[in-house]
Amino acid sequence: MKSKILTSLVLGSALVFAGCTDLEVVETDSIVTAPEGDFQGVDAKGNLTSAYNALALQNTQENLYALSEATTDELFIPTRGTDWGDNGVWRDLAKHTWNSSHQFNLNTWNFLNSTVYGTNQLLHPATTKTPLQEAEAKFIRAYFMFWILDLWRQVPIRQADEGPEVNPTILSAQEAVDFIISDLEAALPVLPATKSGEIENQDVASKASARMLLAKLYLNKHIYLGATVNNADMDKVIGYVTEIEADGYKLQNGFFQIFSPSADSETILYSNGKYDSRIWGSLHYNQGRETDNKNGGWNGFVTPAEFYAKFEGPTDENLEGGPQEERRGYVPGEKLGIGFLIGTQGGPGGPVKARSGQNLVFTKNVTSLTGQPDYSGIRLLKYHPTINMPGSNANHLMIFRYADALLMKAEALLRKGSTAEALTLVNSLRTIRQATPLGSLSEDDVLDERGRELYIEGWRRNDMVRFGKFAAQFVFVEDASPDRNVFPIPDVALGSNPNLKQNAGY
Amino acid sequence: MTKFYLLLGRYLTVLFVVAASTAMAQDRTVSGTVTASEDGTGLPGVNVIEKGTSNGSMTNVDGGFTVTVKEGAILVFSFVGYNTSEVTVGSQATINVALEPNVTALNEVVVIGYGEVNKRDATGAIATVKSEDFVKGIIASPELLIQGKTAGVQITSSSGEPGSAVNIRIRGTSSVRSGNNPLFVVDGVPLSGDFISAGGNDYGRGGSTPKNPLNFLNPNDIESMDVLKDAASTAIYGARGANGVVMITTKSGRNRKNELEFNTGISISEQARTYDVMNAKDYLAAYASLGGDPTLVNYGADTNWQDAVNRTAVSQMYNLAYANAYKTGNYRASLSLDDQNGIIKNSGLKRYTGRLNFNQNFLKDRLKLNLTSLFSHVDDQAAPITNTSGFEGDLMGATVFYNPTIPETPTNIAPARFGQPITQYNSDASNPLALLKYYSDNTMTDRQLITGSLGFDITKELNFKVSGGIDHSHALRESAFSGLMSKISNVAGFGRASIVEQTNRNQIFEALLSYNKKIGDNQLSILGGYSYQKLETFGLNVLGVNFGDQTNMEWMINETSAANQAVKEYLTPGWYQYEYQEDNMMRVYDLFSTPPSVTELPVASNPGLPLIGPRYINGRNFSGEDEIQSFFARGNYNIGERFFFTVSLRADGSTRFGQNNKYGFFPAGAAKWRLSEEDFIPEFFDELGLRASYGITGNQEFGHHLYSGRQQYAAPGVNNDGTLSGVAGLNNVTFANPDLQWEQTSSYNFGVDYGFFNNRLYGSLDFYSKNTTKLLIQQFSAQPAPTPFVWRNLDANLMNTGVEFSLNGVVVDNADWKVNIGGNFAYNKNRLKNYTGGALRTGAINGQGLTGAYAQRIANNQPLYAYYLREFVGFDENGLNADDDIPRFVGKSALPDFNAGLSLSAKYKAVDFAVYFNGQFGHYVYNNIANAYLTKGAIAGARNVTSEVVESNESPVNSPDASTRFLEKGDFVRLQNISLGYTLNLDPGNFFRSVRVFATGANLWLITDYSGLDPEVNVDKNIDGVPSLGIDYTAYPRAKSVTFGLSAKF
Repeated sequence: MKSKILTSLVLGSALVFAGCTDLEVVETDSIVTAPEGDFQGVDAKGNLTSAYNALALQNTQENLYALSEATTDELFIPTRGTDWGDNGVWRDLAKHTWNSSHQFNLNTWNFLNSTVYGTNQLLHPATTKTPLQEAEAKFIRAYFMFWILDLWRQVPIRQADEGPEVNPTILSAQEAVDFIISDLEAALPVLPATKSGEIENQDVASKASARMLLAKLYLNKHIYLGATVNNADMDKVIGYVTEIEADGYKLQNGFFQIFSPSADSETILYSNGKYDSRIWGSLHYNQGRETDNKNGGWNGFVTPAEFYAKFEGPTDENLEGGPQEERRGYVPGEKLGIGFLIGTQGGPGGPVKARSGQNLVFTKNVTSLTGQPDYSGIRLLKYHPTINMPGSNANHLMIFRYADALLMKAEALLRKGSTAEALTLVNSLRTIRQATPLGSLSEDDVLDERGRELYIEGWRRNDMVRFGKFAAQFVFVEDASPDRNVFPIPDVALGSNPNLKQNAGY
Repeated sequence: MTKFYLLLGRYLTVLFVVAASTAMAQDRTVSGTVTASEDGTGLPGVNVIEKGTSNGSMTNVDGGFTVTVKEGAILVFSFVGYNTSEVTVGSQATINVALEPNVTALNEVVVIGYGEVNKRDATGAIATVKSEDFVKGIIASPELLIQGKTAGVQITSSSGEPGSAVNIRIRGTSSVRSGNNPLFVVDGVPLSGDFISAGGNDYGRGGSTPKNPLNFLNPNDIESMDVLKDAASTAIYGARGANGVVMITTKSGRNRKNELEFNTGISISEQARTYDVMNAKDYLAAYASLGGDPTLVNYGADTNWQDAVNRTAVSQMYNLAYANAYKTGNYRASLSLDDQNGIIKNSGLKRYTGRLNFNQNFLKDRLKLNLTSLFSHVDDQAAPITNTSGFEGDLMGATVFYNPTIPETPTNIAPARFGQPITQYNSDASNPLALLKYYSDNTMTDRQLITGSLGFDITKELNFKVSGGIDHSHALRESAFSGLMSKISNVAGFGRASIVEQTNRNQIFEALLSYNKKIGDNQLSILGGYSYQKLETFGLNVLGVNFGDQTNMEWMINETSAANQAVKEYLTPGWYQYEYQEDNMMRVYDLFSTPPSVTELPVASNPGLPLIGPRYINGRNFSGEDEIQSFFARGNYNIGERFFFTVSLRADGSTRFGQNNKYGFFPAGAAKWRLSEEDFIPEFFDELGLRASYGITGNQEFGHHLYSGRQQYAAPGVNNDGTLSGVAGLNNVTFANPDLQWEQTSSYNFGVDYGFFNNRLYGSLDFYSKNTTKLLIQQFSAQPAPTPFVWRNLDANLMNTGVEFSLNGVVVDNADWKVNIGGNFAYNKNRLKNYTGGALRTGAINGQGLTGAYAQRIANNQPLYAYYLREFVGFDENGLNADDDIPRFVGKSALPDFNAGLSLSAKYKAVDFAVYFNGQFGHYVYNNIANAYLTKGAIAGARNVTSEVVESNESPVNSPDASTRFLEKGDFVRLQNISLGYTLNLDPGNFFRSVRVFATGANLWLITDYSGLDPEVNVDKNIDGVPSLGIDYTAYPRAKSVTFGLSAKF
């Protein structure tokens, strides 16, 4: 009896001690890169893939694209009855009445910064990487930092080995410009010299894409620093674009071909990601159903009549074979148009119907941001789901292309005073786009030309700020204060990091 | 008080004995033993009286007695705490009697952590609900058995779906981000707080919540549920005690001698309320009145789409149990079948359970063995009802707004539009019947819970017990959408099938040493223990796309499963993630190679690759493991049944905590003073006790391994058209925080227990204050950062203060009539204090034009789930919103101020009747259905609405922004249960021991001003993981039902 008691006691106690654990877990579906916060490096290849994937993610409609386009004179989203109310976020963008709690502002802040952090992990000494991987990571970091600088003028910095207890330090605009330039200059010699038309290599960073970004930075630098135009900066712009041309990049004949997945002479960098918002954001619900997207468009984004008027052609129609310039596209009778869609819309089974059951006729003028019917507003379609994009979700989103570089060069020349040279460049573009050459060139002409060429490619806000036209009373803007040139630091970001200071006016 | 009766009893007995000895000599001498029925031990001090006389005796220390009575006398055996028994002496010389314990509320036993205690002696705030008081009717989720039965326990099922997830809040909500459900302990095994099956796959119409993990328990197997509410009772569960603990005790064979029990019931349910949307005629007229051309939307029929998808559902349940108690032990075995059909077509739950509980004592009861094993199999069928569908709506949304002129079974009307089958025309909505026809969703869940314990009395005072348990579940959710389903962008024309398999394994080992010693009138109990628990989760996700117009969804699932199997065999075992497109390539991700790699294998040049049916498939598995190691001790000291003291301490080490805080310590102390034992308290009080307690408890219900930086390959993505998308990169999934620790709640409780009029009126009153600190919050990361949020312990305070009151009365108690009334009432106030982080959004509002809309904010000095909305002030002359378009706090919250329950039971001879009401008051419900679908713009867009919408002066182009326009008072009183039973009067020796037939009505009456279907609703509308409360959106509707049943014992 006694022995049994003893046995059970001993057995029980043994179990107690055998059961004691050090509470360490083995991860079986994730890799630990910072055990207990101690950063030990990441896999360079997998992280670089994520960084490149971010180039496509910027395109979703509730992120950088919304801030860069839906705030400008080329795009807005009216509330259509019950549609697109979306808690007023789109109206705030169109009215320039956003505040520090605007959701898209926060989305963009988080998205851009976390991509920068991913590249910091890759660039940390603890990560094993090739010189090329390092150069690519530096390019991507520079690209995303450029946007942070552009939108908020404050760039927070956190090293990969710093935990949540560390408050990131903030680079001033000058420091950020220097940081981005030094990244790009370090990357430039290592990046490949991808030539024009080498489409298979244009979805990764090249010397041309680094030069393009450097040119962008020098072109905007005086804005970021609150200074006046500096000729040395303009020379840098001209120099970088000239180097891009040396790799064979030139204007492409056939405007909408540039936005197809096939090779062309203009593409410098594209992203292999989806871009539904560019295709479907603008189309009516009943449009595009003949594609493999049986649900049609989202009926959101439209162009103000004032912007449409900047193109050559009849003001109230845009018919196929009409006299309008190439970039405005056309509306054929029995299928989906391209470019700007106005008037009666056709489809394979006859005219497309509006919600009321009447024929769908896109009207030109939208007088109010609310109370709009489903058919109001001019639609825009640069990436076409059937003409130049087989499949409703083809992966070919333009990031950098040569026409932009050419217009930057023209702008730099103009700002330096070399107006004639600039006019020649602009007219070379207009000629190939089947538009009448200009007789003279003003700053406004350059901004308009950039609008006609680069609409919905994500540069409009940046351009309008640089030309001093963003903080102005256009279309639905209610607050024309220059403070609107930069976005507010999101309120939750301010709360997360005491080193951030709210931008003026918010 | 008991002592008083004992003394009185003894005194009277002495009087009787004296009286008897002076009387004449009697005719017959009878002797025997009186035992307690539950354990067969002799009962000393039992009064043995000849009926109608003062003649009698009292049992000795072994329960023996001798008494001399007249021929033909009746002996009455009475003893405090036991039912009185009468025996006709007849010619017997020996009479042995076993007295049944008289279980009343105040002397019932309550189950606490690692033990049990007499309710009267309990120092903590504990509510017990025994099986006979459970909510009746057809019930899938065990939590609902005690809904409204206890003060301070708010139980809300997320919808009316059979077996849907249930929210339980004990004494308010004490966590902002983390888990808020209590810890469930089934027969001593603490369950994992995780879901054990997957939620509905989001095919573009929103995801849905997984089923309730407790569905594996057969309600008929549950003996009692004890809710431990204050820290004094829950601190013994340390880092998991802060949300309260629910102890579920299942039935054993104790007190059941050779008893065969059979229960059966049949229920008839139908949708309790529906939306009063227009018929075809009114719909067409309304559309025309807004400028639409009715001929364009008229398909000629008059269909009520709600009636087209709902049904009168018949459910059945069968229970069979055999139990037997014998001298050295007992056992009980049971089998059950529940077949619950949902009131929405294609939904329901089928549950099979088998259970065995076996207790055996050895060595003259010094060694006690307990074994329980429970097996269950649950089949869930789900209809396409989701939480977050957009303007297209899910099944419930579509039944509200779908064009009523479209016939249920179309014949040669209108040509197919856009290449879709003709059942689905209409520009932007899904046909409800097509949604049912082209969707299939089944979950099979198997769960086993096996426990065993061995306890040994080393000495009379010292007991050592070891116990172990395994809780293993395996759930397989298979769902598919046919490519014939139109209007769903990634489904139409392609079809999708999804398989999610999940296994949870929870193993526990515990060792307990307990010491009980009587010191004079005092009693000392000490308990010390060790517990080790390991919780593992693993499983896989598989997606198949490109089945064309295939309508056989079972085939789609089988093909996907077979393809996954073939690919898995091709891959090396272990972790895997792949994407496969038969006419293109297979992409294999290897996370654990050095370095991690992605391999692309062109299918054409790799003949070894398996040939699979579907054109695209991806798969990925997941796994994780957590451990909890604990040391705990508790001491109880009872001074003469007057003063009771409890002290407990638990140290919990958990793999959820970072290295700087691996162990947490959770102390608690409580005291009780039974004033009724004191001379200065009037006799009027049968029971009067004061309780006070203080303790610290924790909450560790947050994610797995968040203190290290970790990466995973992004989940495989597929283009909407079923083609391969880009290569996934390595993504950060955590922001390392080695300081992470449990959330800490310190709480006070002051309580009074009382009983009057011979304890015919009794109850308790409790005041509590809970202060939760080190709040686990996913704060916004200071960018740049690996993840948008970082889990941190924040120095804010979440305060819950409240009052709970319960009162039960035995109004009538005589031979024919028995009437009981019971009520409970609770008030809770919730505030977030000292919170300095940014306001957190929650309560996503979905629907047409409502992307990004939300209704609630978590902010300082506000209650949780405070509504943050535009203040609706009506429409302007143009019918547009006249408000200032600026959301703000509107001073209303989704948290009820008051919860109340009221029950009445009556028994007249063989007929019993019970009625039970519950209610919640002071909270607001956001009617997202009205916001999304019941607006002028909806009817202008040819979507059906109610006639009130048409009559309103809203403009058809007004934007229904989220505002107080859709915020409504949620107050309600529900007739939860009404039942009528009849117990057959059977002679002893009948084949049946007892037979009862009954009818129960559930949810037959609801009093509320809420305009939606039911204000008791909680659709999961979290944003970034911040839970929401009180949002009503396309929830599975609640049923009203009548159950007819029979229970028989043999």
